[in-house]
Amino acid sequence: MTDVTLYHWEPNANSGKPMLALMEKGVAFNSHYLDLLSFDQHKPDYLAVNPQGTIPAMTHGHRVLTESTAIMEYVDEAFDGPQLMPTDAQARWRVRWWMKFMDQWLAPSFSMIGWSVFVGPAVRAKDPDVLTAAIERIPLPERRVAWKKAIYGLFSEEEMAESQRRVALGIRMLEQALSEREWLASDNYSLADVNGFNLAYALPLAQPTLSNDELTPNILRWLRAIYARPATKACWAMGRTAMVKRVSILEQPHIGGGNQS
Amino acid sequence: MSTTLYHGEPNGPSLTVLAALFEKSVDAHLVAIDLTKAERHQLAVARQPELAMGVEGEGPVLVVNGEALTDSVFVACYLDDIGHGTALRPADPYERWSMMAWCRQIIERTAPAAAYLGCKAYPPRAFPAALDAIESVDLRARWDAAVAGHSHAEKIADSENKIIQTVAKIEARLNGRDWLMGDFSIADLESYAWLAGMTELVPAAFEAAPRTQAWMDRVKARPAVQKALALASVAAPERCWAPGPEINRWG
Ligand SMILES: N[C@@H](CCC(=O)N[C@@H](CS)C(=O)NCC(=O)O)C(=O)O
Repeated sequence: MTDVTLYHWEPNANSGKPMLALMEKGVAFNSHYLDLLSFDQHKPDYLAVNPQGTIPAMTHGHRVLTESTAIMEYVDEAFDGPQLMPTDAQARWRVRWWMKFMDQWLAPSFSMIGWSVFVGPAVRAKDPDVLTAAIERIPLPERRVAWKKAIYGLFSEEEMAESQRRVALGIRMLEQALSEREWLASDNYSLADVNGFNLAYALPLAQPTLSNDELTPNILRWLRAIYARPATKACWAMGRTAMVKRVSILEQPHIGGGNQS
Repeated sequence: MSTTLYHGEPNGPSLTVLAALFEKSVDAHLVAIDLTKAERHQLAVARQPELAMGVEGEGPVLVVNGEALTDSVFVACYLDDIGHGTALRPADPYERWSMMAWCRQIIERTAPAAAYLGCKAYPPRAFPAALDAIESVDLRARWDAAVAGHSHAEKIADSENKIIQTVAKIEARLNGRDWLMGDFSIADLESYAWLAGMTELVPAAFEAAPRTQAWMDRVKARPAVQKALALASVAAPERCWAPGPEINRWG
Protein backbone atom coordinates (compact mmCIF):
# COMPACT_ATOMS: atom_id res chain seq x y z
CA MET A 1 0.00 0.00 0.00
CA THR A 2 1.20 3.46 -0.80
CA ASP A 3 -0.39 6.87 -0.43
CA VAL A 4 1.62 8.28 -3.34
CA THR A 5 0.02 8.58 -6.76
CA LEU A 6 1.84 9.94 -9.76
CA TYR A 7 -0.07 11.22 -12.77
CA HIS A 8 2.34 10.86 -15.63
CA TRP A 9 2.81 10.14 -19.30
CA GLU A 10 5.92 8.47 -20.67
CA PRO A 11 9.31 8.31 -18.95
CA ASN A 12 10.31 11.39 -20.89
CA ALA A 13 10.77 15.09 -20.11
CA ASN A 14 8.68 16.44 -17.25
CA SER A 15 6.77 13.19 -16.64
CA GLY A 16 9.89 11.13 -16.38
CA LYS A 17 11.58 13.39 -13.84
CA PRO A 18 9.45 12.49 -10.79
CA MET A 19 9.06 8.91 -12.07
CA LEU A 20 12.80 8.36 -12.04
CA ALA A 21 13.30 10.27 -8.78
CA LEU A 22 10.69 8.11 -7.03
CA MET A 23 12.29 4.97 -8.38
CA GLU A 24 15.79 6.03 -7.35
CA LYS A 25 14.47 6.66 -3.85
CA GLY A 26 12.71 3.30 -3.80
CA VAL A 27 9.31 4.91 -3.14
CA ALA A 28 6.35 2.78 -4.20
CA PHE A 29 3.68 4.76 -6.07
CA ASN A 30 0.40 4.22 -7.83
CA SER A 31 0.99 4.89 -11.47
CA HIS A 32 -1.80 6.85 -13.14
CA TYR A 33 -0.94 6.92 -16.82
CA LEU A 34 -2.31 9.84 -18.82
CA ASP A 35 -2.15 9.51 -22.57
CA LEU A 36 -0.90 12.90 -23.71
CA LEU A 37 -1.66 11.95 -27.31
CA SER A 38 -5.34 11.43 -26.39
CA PHE A 39 -5.40 14.75 -24.49
CA ASP A 40 -6.11 12.98 -21.17
CA GLN A 41 -4.39 15.89 -19.40
CA HIS A 42 -7.20 18.29 -20.40
CA LYS A 43 -10.08 16.07 -19.26
CA PRO A 44 -12.18 17.06 -16.23
CA ASP A 45 -10.94 14.19 -14.02
CA TYR A 46 -7.37 15.40 -14.31
CA LEU A 47 -8.16 19.12 -14.28
CA ALA A 48 -9.60 18.49 -10.82
CA VAL A 49 -6.05 17.47 -9.81
CA ASN A 50 -4.10 20.05 -11.83
CA PRO A 51 -6.20 22.90 -13.25
CA GLN A 52 -3.32 23.96 -15.52
CA GLY A 53 -3.79 20.73 -17.46
CA THR A 54 -0.12 19.87 -17.68
CA ILE A 55 1.60 16.65 -16.69
CA PRO A 56 2.89 15.53 -14.20
CA ALA A 57 1.14 15.89 -10.88
CA MET A 58 1.59 13.89 -7.72
CA THR A 59 -0.60 13.30 -4.71
CA HIS A 60 0.81 12.28 -1.36
CA GLY A 61 -2.06 11.56 0.99
CA HIS A 62 -4.35 14.54 0.57
CA ARG A 63 -1.60 16.81 -0.69
CA VAL A 64 -1.39 17.70 -4.38
CA LEU A 65 1.93 18.65 -5.96
CA THR A 66 2.72 20.03 -9.42
CA GLU A 67 5.86 21.39 -11.15
CA SER A 68 8.09 18.43 -11.92
CA THR A 69 11.36 19.89 -10.65
CA ALA A 70 9.84 21.07 -7.39
CA ILE A 71 8.19 17.63 -7.03
CA MET A 72 11.61 16.00 -7.35
CA GLU A 73 13.03 18.12 -4.54
CA TYR A 74 10.02 17.16 -2.43
CA VAL A 75 10.51 13.47 -3.18
CA ASP A 76 14.13 13.73 -2.16
CA GLU A 77 13.31 15.47 1.13
CA ALA A 78 10.12 13.70 2.17
CA PHE A 79 11.24 10.08 1.77
CA ASP A 80 14.06 7.88 2.96
CA GLY A 81 16.46 6.41 0.46
CA PRO A 82 19.61 7.64 -1.27
CA GLN A 83 20.20 11.41 -1.18
CA LEU A 84 19.61 12.97 -4.60
CA MET A 85 20.80 16.45 -3.59
CA PRO A 86 24.44 17.13 -2.65
CA THR A 87 25.25 18.03 0.96
CA ASP A 88 27.44 20.97 -0.05
CA ALA A 89 25.43 24.21 -0.37
CA GLN A 90 27.34 25.45 -3.41
CA ALA A 91 26.81 22.14 -5.20
CA ARG A 92 23.09 22.34 -4.36
CA TRP A 93 23.03 25.77 -5.98
CA ARG A 94 24.66 24.25 -9.06
CA VAL A 95 22.06 21.46 -9.25
CA ARG A 96 19.27 24.03 -9.17
CA TRP A 97 20.95 26.28 -11.74
CA TRP A 98 21.29 23.42 -14.23
CA MET A 99 17.75 22.21 -13.66
CA LYS A 100 16.37 25.67 -14.37
CA PHE A 101 18.60 26.07 -17.41
CA MET A 102 17.28 22.79 -18.78
CA ASP A 103 13.66 23.35 -17.75
CA GLN A 104 13.34 26.87 -19.06
CA TRP A 105 15.90 27.27 -21.82
CA LEU A 106 17.05 23.99 -23.29
CA ALA A 107 14.10 21.61 -22.84
CA PRO A 108 11.57 23.90 -24.55
CA SER A 109 13.75 23.79 -27.66
CA PHE A 110 14.08 19.99 -27.56
CA SER A 111 10.37 19.92 -26.97
CA MET A 112 9.51 22.06 -29.99
CA ILE A 113 11.50 19.72 -32.22
CA GLY A 114 9.95 16.67 -30.54
CA TRP A 115 6.45 18.01 -30.94
CA SER A 116 6.97 18.79 -34.59
CA VAL A 117 8.47 15.38 -35.48
CA PHE A 118 6.68 13.10 -33.00
CA VAL A 119 3.67 14.54 -31.16
CA GLY A 120 2.12 16.50 -34.05
CA PRO A 121 2.23 13.66 -36.60
CA ALA A 122 1.00 11.17 -33.97
CA VAL A 123 -2.29 13.02 -33.42
CA ARG A 124 -2.78 14.71 -36.80
CA ALA A 125 -4.69 11.77 -38.27
CA LYS A 126 -7.53 12.06 -35.75
CA ASP A 127 -10.94 13.39 -36.80
CA PRO A 128 -10.57 17.16 -37.48
CA ASP A 129 -13.62 18.02 -35.37
CA VAL A 130 -12.29 16.01 -32.46
CA LEU A 131 -9.03 17.92 -32.75
CA THR A 132 -10.73 21.31 -32.84
CA ALA A 133 -12.71 20.44 -29.73
CA ALA A 134 -9.59 19.10 -28.02
CA ILE A 135 -7.73 22.36 -28.66
CA GLU A 136 -10.66 24.38 -27.32
CA ARG A 137 -10.47 22.53 -23.99
CA ILE A 138 -6.81 23.41 -23.26
CA PRO A 139 -6.71 25.66 -20.17
CA LEU A 140 -3.39 27.51 -20.73
CA PRO A 141 -3.54 29.89 -23.71
CA GLU A 142 0.16 29.38 -24.44
CA ARG A 143 -0.42 25.64 -24.70
CA ARG A 144 -3.38 26.12 -27.01
CA VAL A 145 -1.02 27.89 -29.39
CA ALA A 146 1.64 25.18 -29.01
CA TRP A 147 -0.82 22.36 -29.71
CA LYS A 148 -2.25 24.19 -32.75
CA LYS A 149 1.21 24.57 -34.19
CA ALA A 150 2.07 20.93 -33.55
CA ILE A 151 -1.18 19.56 -34.95
CA TYR A 152 -1.32 21.69 -38.06
CA GLY A 153 2.43 21.78 -38.66
CA LEU A 154 2.64 25.54 -38.15
CA PHE A 155 6.06 25.93 -36.55
CA SER A 156 7.87 28.62 -38.54
CA GLU A 157 11.25 27.96 -40.09
CA GLU A 158 12.61 30.74 -37.94
CA GLU A 159 11.48 29.28 -34.63
CA MET A 160 12.65 25.79 -35.59
CA ALA A 161 16.06 27.21 -36.51
CA GLU A 162 16.20 29.03 -33.17
CA SER A 163 15.37 25.79 -31.33
CA GLN A 164 18.02 23.92 -33.30
CA ARG A 165 20.57 26.66 -32.44
CA ARG A 166 19.78 26.30 -28.76
CA VAL A 167 19.97 22.51 -28.88
CA ALA A 168 23.41 22.70 -30.50
CA LEU A 169 24.67 25.20 -27.92
CA GLY A 170 23.09 23.25 -25.05
CA ILE A 171 24.88 20.10 -26.20
CA ARG A 172 28.21 21.95 -26.17
CA MET A 173 27.49 23.24 -22.66
CA LEU A 174 26.56 19.80 -21.36
CA GLU A 175 29.69 18.30 -22.88
CA GLN A 176 31.83 21.01 -21.29
CA ALA A 177 30.27 20.57 -17.84
CA LEU A 178 30.58 16.78 -18.05
CA SER A 179 34.24 17.07 -19.04
CA GLU A 180 34.85 18.93 -15.75
CA ARG A 181 32.80 16.69 -13.44
CA GLU A 182 31.66 13.09 -13.37
CA TRP A 183 28.02 14.16 -12.96
CA LEU A 184 26.32 17.23 -14.35
CA ALA A 185 26.33 19.50 -11.31
CA SER A 186 28.23 17.76 -8.53
CA ASP A 187 30.52 14.87 -7.66
CA ASN A 188 27.54 12.64 -6.89
CA TYR A 189 24.55 11.51 -8.88
CA SER A 190 21.85 14.11 -8.30
CA LEU A 191 18.49 15.44 -9.43
CA ALA A 192 20.33 17.40 -12.14
CA ASP A 193 21.30 14.07 -13.71
CA VAL A 194 17.76 12.70 -13.34
CA ASN A 195 16.52 15.87 -15.03
CA GLY A 196 19.16 15.81 -17.75
CA PHE A 197 18.62 12.17 -18.66
CA ASN A 198 14.95 12.86 -19.27
CA LEU A 199 15.98 15.51 -21.74
CA ALA A 200 18.85 13.73 -23.45
CA TYR A 201 18.26 9.95 -23.26
CA ALA A 202 17.90 9.63 -27.03
CA LEU A 203 20.27 12.45 -27.93
CA PRO A 204 22.71 10.47 -30.12
CA LEU A 205 19.72 9.26 -32.15
CA ALA A 206 17.87 12.57 -32.32
CA GLN A 207 20.96 14.71 -33.02
CA PRO A 208 23.46 12.26 -34.55
CA THR A 209 25.62 14.95 -36.12
CA LEU A 210 25.96 16.85 -32.84
CA SER A 211 26.20 14.09 -30.27
CA ASN A 212 28.10 10.84 -30.62
CA ASP A 213 31.10 9.09 -29.10
CA GLU A 214 33.55 11.16 -31.12
CA LEU A 215 32.08 14.62 -30.65
CA THR A 216 30.60 14.35 -27.16
CA PRO A 217 32.31 11.46 -25.37
CA ASN A 218 31.43 12.82 -21.95
CA ILE A 219 27.73 13.13 -22.68
CA LEU A 220 27.72 9.54 -23.95
CA ARG A 221 29.64 8.30 -20.90
CA TRP A 222 27.12 10.09 -18.68
CA LEU A 223 24.03 8.82 -20.50
CA ARG A 224 25.29 5.22 -20.43
CA ALA A 225 26.13 5.49 -16.72
CA ILE A 226 22.61 6.68 -15.92
CA TYR A 227 21.05 4.05 -18.19
CA ALA A 228 23.02 1.36 -16.36
CA ARG A 229 21.28 2.18 -13.07
CA PRO A 230 18.55 -0.30 -12.10
CA ALA A 231 16.07 2.51 -11.39
CA THR A 232 16.54 3.91 -14.89
CA LYS A 233 16.01 0.50 -16.49
CA ALA A 234 12.86 -0.08 -14.47
CA CYS A 235 11.57 3.40 -15.23
CA TRP A 236 12.11 3.25 -18.99
CA ALA A 237 10.52 -0.21 -19.05
CA MET A 238 7.28 1.60 -18.17
CA GLY A 239 7.38 3.38 -21.53
CA ARG A 240 4.82 2.45 -24.17
CA THR A 241 5.76 4.55 -27.18
CA ALA A 242 8.40 4.19 -29.88
CA MET A 243 9.70 7.59 -28.79
CA VAL A 244 10.76 6.25 -25.41
CA LYS A 245 12.08 2.94 -26.73
CA ARG A 246 14.74 4.96 -28.54
CA VAL A 247 16.63 4.79 -25.23
CA SER A 248 18.00 1.41 -26.40
CA ILE A 249 20.49 3.33 -28.56
CA LEU A 250 22.49 3.56 -25.35
CA GLU A 251 23.02 -0.21 -25.43
CA GLN A 252 25.37 0.22 -28.40
CA PRO A 253 28.96 0.15 -27.12
CA HIS A 254 30.07 2.72 -29.69
CA ILE A 255 28.03 5.34 -31.48
CA GLY A 256 30.17 6.82 -34.21
CA GLY A 257 29.83 10.12 -36.01
CA GLY A 258 28.76 8.39 -39.22
CA ASN A 259 25.72 6.86 -37.51
CA GLN A 260 22.98 8.83 -39.27
CA SER A 261 19.41 7.84 -38.66
CA MET B 1 36.60 31.46 1.88
CA SER B 2 36.16 34.62 -0.17
CA THR B 3 32.74 35.85 -1.19
CA THR B 4 31.95 38.89 -3.30
CA LEU B 5 28.52 40.08 -4.31
CA TYR B 6 28.31 42.16 -7.48
CA HIS B 7 24.91 43.80 -7.38
CA GLY B 8 22.89 46.40 -9.24
CA GLU B 9 20.51 48.95 -7.76
CA PRO B 10 18.25 47.32 -5.13
CA ASN B 11 15.42 46.29 -7.45
CA GLY B 12 14.37 42.94 -8.92
CA PRO B 13 16.93 40.15 -8.44
CA SER B 14 19.56 42.42 -6.85
CA LEU B 15 17.07 43.38 -4.17
CA THR B 16 16.21 39.74 -3.42
CA VAL B 17 19.84 38.73 -3.03
CA LEU B 18 20.96 41.79 -1.05
CA ALA B 19 18.04 41.42 1.36
CA ALA B 20 18.64 37.67 1.73
CA LEU B 21 22.31 38.34 2.45
CA PHE B 22 21.38 40.81 5.20
CA GLU B 23 18.60 38.60 6.60
CA LYS B 24 21.17 35.83 7.00
CA SER B 25 24.10 38.04 8.14
CA VAL B 26 26.42 36.60 5.50
CA ASP B 27 29.83 38.24 5.20
CA ALA B 28 30.62 39.33 1.66
CA HIS B 29 32.40 42.13 -0.14
CA LEU B 30 29.69 44.21 -1.75
CA VAL B 31 30.54 45.69 -5.12
CA ALA B 32 27.99 47.87 -6.88
CA ILE B 33 27.92 47.57 -10.66
CA ASP B 34 25.58 49.19 -13.15
CA LEU B 35 23.48 46.39 -14.58
CA THR B 36 21.72 48.91 -16.83
CA LYS B 37 25.04 49.48 -18.59
CA ALA B 38 25.69 45.75 -19.03
CA GLU B 39 28.68 46.01 -16.69
CA ARG B 40 28.16 42.44 -15.53
CA HIS B 41 29.62 41.22 -18.79
CA GLN B 42 32.93 42.95 -18.00
CA LEU B 43 33.53 40.92 -14.83
CA ALA B 44 36.41 38.46 -14.76
CA VAL B 45 33.90 35.63 -14.28
CA ALA B 46 31.66 36.79 -17.16
CA ARG B 47 32.55 33.82 -19.37
CA GLN B 48 31.45 31.20 -16.87
CA PRO B 49 28.39 29.52 -18.41
CA GLU B 50 26.31 29.97 -15.26
CA LEU B 51 26.72 33.72 -15.67
CA ALA B 52 26.76 34.03 -19.45
CA MET B 53 23.79 31.71 -20.02
CA GLY B 54 21.66 32.30 -16.93
CA VAL B 55 17.93 32.25 -17.59
CA GLU B 56 17.37 35.21 -15.28
CA GLY B 57 19.07 37.67 -17.63
CA GLU B 58 20.71 40.59 -15.85
CA GLY B 59 20.99 40.14 -12.11
CA PRO B 60 23.48 39.98 -9.26
CA VAL B 61 26.46 37.64 -9.19
CA LEU B 62 27.75 36.05 -6.01
CA VAL B 63 31.32 34.91 -6.53
CA VAL B 64 32.25 32.16 -4.07
CA ASN B 65 35.82 30.90 -4.30
CA GLY B 66 35.99 31.89 -7.94
CA GLU B 67 32.65 30.38 -8.98
CA ALA B 68 29.95 32.76 -10.21
CA LEU B 69 26.58 31.98 -8.61
CA THR B 70 23.61 33.54 -10.40
CA ASP B 71 19.83 33.40 -10.30
CA SER B 72 18.34 35.20 -7.34
CA VAL B 73 16.11 32.43 -5.95
CA PHE B 74 18.88 29.87 -5.93
CA VAL B 75 21.47 32.31 -4.60
CA ALA B 76 19.02 33.13 -1.81
CA CYS B 77 18.67 29.38 -1.08
CA TYR B 78 22.46 29.17 -0.90
CA LEU B 79 22.62 32.12 1.51
CA ASP B 80 19.90 30.51 3.58
CA ASP B 81 22.00 27.33 3.78
CA ILE B 82 25.25 28.98 4.82
CA GLY B 83 23.99 31.98 6.80
CA HIS B 84 22.76 32.54 10.34
CA GLY B 85 19.52 33.22 12.11
CA THR B 86 15.95 32.52 11.08
CA ALA B 87 15.46 30.23 8.09
CA LEU B 88 14.26 31.79 4.84
CA ARG B 89 12.54 28.58 3.78
CA PRO B 90 9.95 26.46 5.56
CA ALA B 91 11.29 23.30 7.23
CA ASP B 92 8.46 20.98 6.24
CA PRO B 93 9.09 19.34 2.83
CA TYR B 94 5.59 20.06 1.55
CA GLU B 95 5.79 23.73 2.58
CA ARG B 96 9.19 23.86 0.93
CA TRP B 97 7.71 22.40 -2.24
CA SER B 98 5.06 25.06 -2.04
CA MET B 99 7.70 27.79 -1.81
CA MET B 100 9.79 26.44 -4.68
CA ALA B 101 6.73 25.94 -6.90
CA TRP B 102 5.60 29.48 -6.05
CA CYS B 103 9.01 30.91 -6.92
CA ARG B 104 9.03 28.94 -10.16
CA GLN B 105 5.81 30.65 -11.23
CA ILE B 106 7.25 34.04 -10.28
CA ILE B 107 10.48 33.53 -12.20
CA GLU B 108 8.70 32.05 -15.21
CA ARG B 109 5.69 34.34 -15.49
CA THR B 110 6.07 37.47 -13.35
CA ALA B 111 9.77 38.23 -13.78
CA PRO B 112 9.79 38.35 -17.60
CA ALA B 113 6.67 40.51 -17.52
CA ALA B 114 8.06 42.97 -14.96
CA ALA B 115 11.42 43.25 -16.72
CA TYR B 116 9.70 43.79 -20.06
CA LEU B 117 7.46 46.56 -18.73
CA GLY B 118 10.29 48.06 -16.69
CA CYS B 119 12.67 48.22 -19.66
CA LYS B 120 9.97 49.76 -21.80
CA ALA B 121 9.27 52.52 -19.26
CA TYR B 122 12.91 53.06 -18.26
CA PRO B 123 15.14 51.81 -21.09
CA PRO B 124 18.65 50.77 -20.02
CA ARG B 125 21.40 52.90 -21.50
CA ALA B 126 24.27 50.53 -22.31
CA PHE B 127 26.62 51.55 -25.15
CA PRO B 128 27.16 49.26 -28.16
CA ALA B 129 30.70 48.43 -27.03
CA ALA B 130 29.40 47.12 -23.71
CA LEU B 131 26.74 45.08 -25.48
CA ASP B 132 29.36 43.43 -27.68
CA ALA B 133 30.70 41.66 -24.60
CA ILE B 134 27.41 39.79 -24.11
CA GLU B 135 27.90 36.16 -25.02
CA SER B 136 24.31 34.95 -25.08
CA VAL B 137 22.68 35.69 -28.44
CA ASP B 138 19.18 35.70 -27.02
CA LEU B 139 20.05 37.97 -24.09
CA ARG B 140 21.77 40.28 -26.59
CA ALA B 141 18.59 40.41 -28.67
CA ARG B 142 16.61 41.45 -25.59
CA TRP B 143 19.20 44.13 -24.89
CA ASP B 144 19.10 45.49 -28.44
CA ALA B 145 15.33 45.77 -28.29
CA ALA B 146 15.38 47.39 -24.86
CA VAL B 147 18.07 49.95 -25.73
CA ALA B 148 16.30 50.85 -28.97
CA GLY B 149 13.01 51.21 -27.11
CA HIS B 150 11.32 48.53 -29.23
CA SER B 151 8.30 46.82 -27.74
CA HIS B 152 5.31 44.88 -29.05
CA ALA B 153 1.74 45.75 -28.13
CA GLU B 154 1.02 42.03 -27.76
CA LYS B 155 3.87 41.48 -25.30
CA ILE B 156 2.91 44.56 -23.31
CA ALA B 157 -0.66 43.33 -22.94
CA ASP B 158 0.55 39.84 -22.04
CA SER B 159 2.96 41.26 -19.47
CA GLU B 160 0.37 43.53 -17.86
CA ASN B 161 -1.96 40.58 -17.66
CA LYS B 162 0.70 38.49 -15.91
CA ILE B 163 1.26 41.23 -13.32
CA ILE B 164 -2.50 41.42 -12.72
CA GLN B 165 -2.66 37.63 -12.32
CA THR B 166 0.30 37.63 -9.95
CA VAL B 167 -1.26 40.24 -7.69
CA ALA B 168 -4.58 38.37 -7.72
CA LYS B 169 -2.75 35.21 -6.67
CA ILE B 170 -0.94 37.03 -3.88
CA GLU B 171 -4.14 38.68 -2.71
CA ALA B 172 -5.83 35.28 -2.44
CA ARG B 173 -2.82 33.72 -0.77
CA LEU B 174 -2.62 36.40 1.93
CA ASN B 175 -6.09 35.66 3.18
CA GLY B 176 -5.49 35.13 6.90
CA ARG B 177 -1.70 35.31 6.76
CA ASP B 178 1.03 37.94 6.86
CA TRP B 179 3.52 36.20 4.60
CA LEU B 180 3.04 34.10 1.47
CA MET B 181 4.20 30.83 3.01
CA GLY B 182 2.97 31.53 6.53
CA ASP B 183 6.39 32.48 7.85
CA PHE B 184 8.52 35.03 6.02
CA SER B 185 10.48 33.37 3.20
CA ILE B 186 12.38 33.78 -0.05
CA ALA B 187 8.98 33.75 -1.79
CA ASP B 188 8.13 37.10 -0.16
CA LEU B 189 11.45 38.64 -1.20
CA GLU B 190 11.36 37.37 -4.77
CA SER B 191 7.72 38.32 -5.33
CA TYR B 192 8.14 41.75 -3.75
CA ALA B 193 11.36 42.52 -5.60
CA TRP B 194 9.73 42.03 -9.00
CA LEU B 195 6.51 43.82 -8.06
CA ALA B 196 7.92 46.91 -6.30
CA GLY B 197 8.28 48.78 -9.59
CA MET B 198 4.92 47.59 -10.92
CA THR B 199 2.71 49.70 -8.63
CA GLU B 200 3.64 52.67 -10.82
CA LEU B 201 3.53 50.85 -14.17
CA VAL B 202 0.44 48.64 -13.75
CA PRO B 203 -1.51 50.52 -11.05
CA ALA B 204 -4.77 48.78 -11.95
CA ALA B 205 -3.36 45.47 -10.68
CA PHE B 206 -3.11 46.83 -7.13
CA GLU B 207 -6.35 48.78 -6.91
CA ALA B 208 -8.53 46.11 -5.40
CA ALA B 209 -5.69 44.42 -3.53
CA PRO B 210 -5.49 45.87 0.00
CA ARG B 211 -3.85 42.76 1.47
CA THR B 212 -1.14 42.87 -1.18
CA GLN B 213 -0.49 46.55 -0.51
CA ALA B 214 -0.19 45.94 3.23
CA TRP B 215 2.11 42.97 2.58
CA MET B 216 4.34 45.11 0.33
CA ASP B 217 4.64 47.64 3.15
CA ARG B 218 5.57 44.83 5.56
CA VAL B 219 8.25 43.44 3.26
CA LYS B 220 9.65 46.90 2.64
CA ALA B 221 9.78 47.65 6.36
CA ARG B 222 11.98 44.67 7.16
CA PRO B 223 15.40 45.84 8.38
CA ALA B 224 17.21 43.69 5.81
CA VAL B 225 15.15 45.16 2.96
CA GLN B 226 15.72 48.67 4.32
CA LYS B 227 19.44 48.00 4.49
CA ALA B 228 19.38 46.83 0.86
CA LEU B 229 17.38 49.86 -0.25
CA ALA B 230 19.82 52.15 1.55
CA LEU B 231 22.49 51.00 -0.93
CA ALA B 232 20.65 52.69 -3.78
CA SER B 233 22.62 55.37 -5.58
CA VAL B 234 19.46 56.82 -7.11
CA ALA B 235 16.26 58.14 -5.57
CA ALA B 236 13.98 55.54 -7.16
CA PRO B 237 15.77 52.18 -7.55
CA GLU B 238 12.47 50.55 -8.54
CA ARG B 239 12.86 52.41 -11.84
CA CYS B 240 16.18 50.73 -12.68
CA TRP B 241 15.71 47.97 -15.21
CA ALA B 242 17.87 45.82 -17.42
CA PRO B 243 16.69 42.90 -19.58
CA GLY B 244 15.34 40.03 -17.50
CA PRO B 245 14.23 36.52 -18.43
CA GLU B 246 12.71 36.03 -21.85
CA ILE B 247 8.96 35.79 -22.21
CA ASN B 248 8.15 32.10 -22.66
CA ARG B 249 8.57 31.12 -26.28
CA TRP B 250 6.97 27.71 -25.71
CA GLY B 251 4.02 27.66 -23.31
N1 LIG C 1 6.47 23.34 -15.54
C1 LIG C 1 5.72 22.12 -15.64
C2 LIG C 1 5.47 21.83 -17.10
C3 LIG C 1 4.69 20.57 -17.33
C4 LIG C 1 4.46 20.32 -18.80
O1 LIG C 1 4.47 21.23 -19.60
N2 LIG C 1 4.26 19.04 -19.20
C5 LIG C 1 4.05 18.70 -20.58
C6 LIG C 1 4.56 17.31 -20.85
S1 LIG C 1 6.34 17.21 -20.72
C7 LIG C 1 2.58 18.67 -20.90
O2 LIG C 1 1.76 18.42 -20.03
N3 LIG C 1 2.21 18.87 -22.17
C8 LIG C 1 0.90 18.63 -22.64
C9 LIG C 1 0.03 19.82 -22.71
O3 LIG C 1 0.46 20.92 -22.40
O4 LIG C 1 -1.10 19.62 -23.11
C10 LIG C 1 6.48 20.99 -14.98
O5 LIG C 1 7.71 21.03 -14.96
O6 LIG C 1 5.86 20.08 -14.46
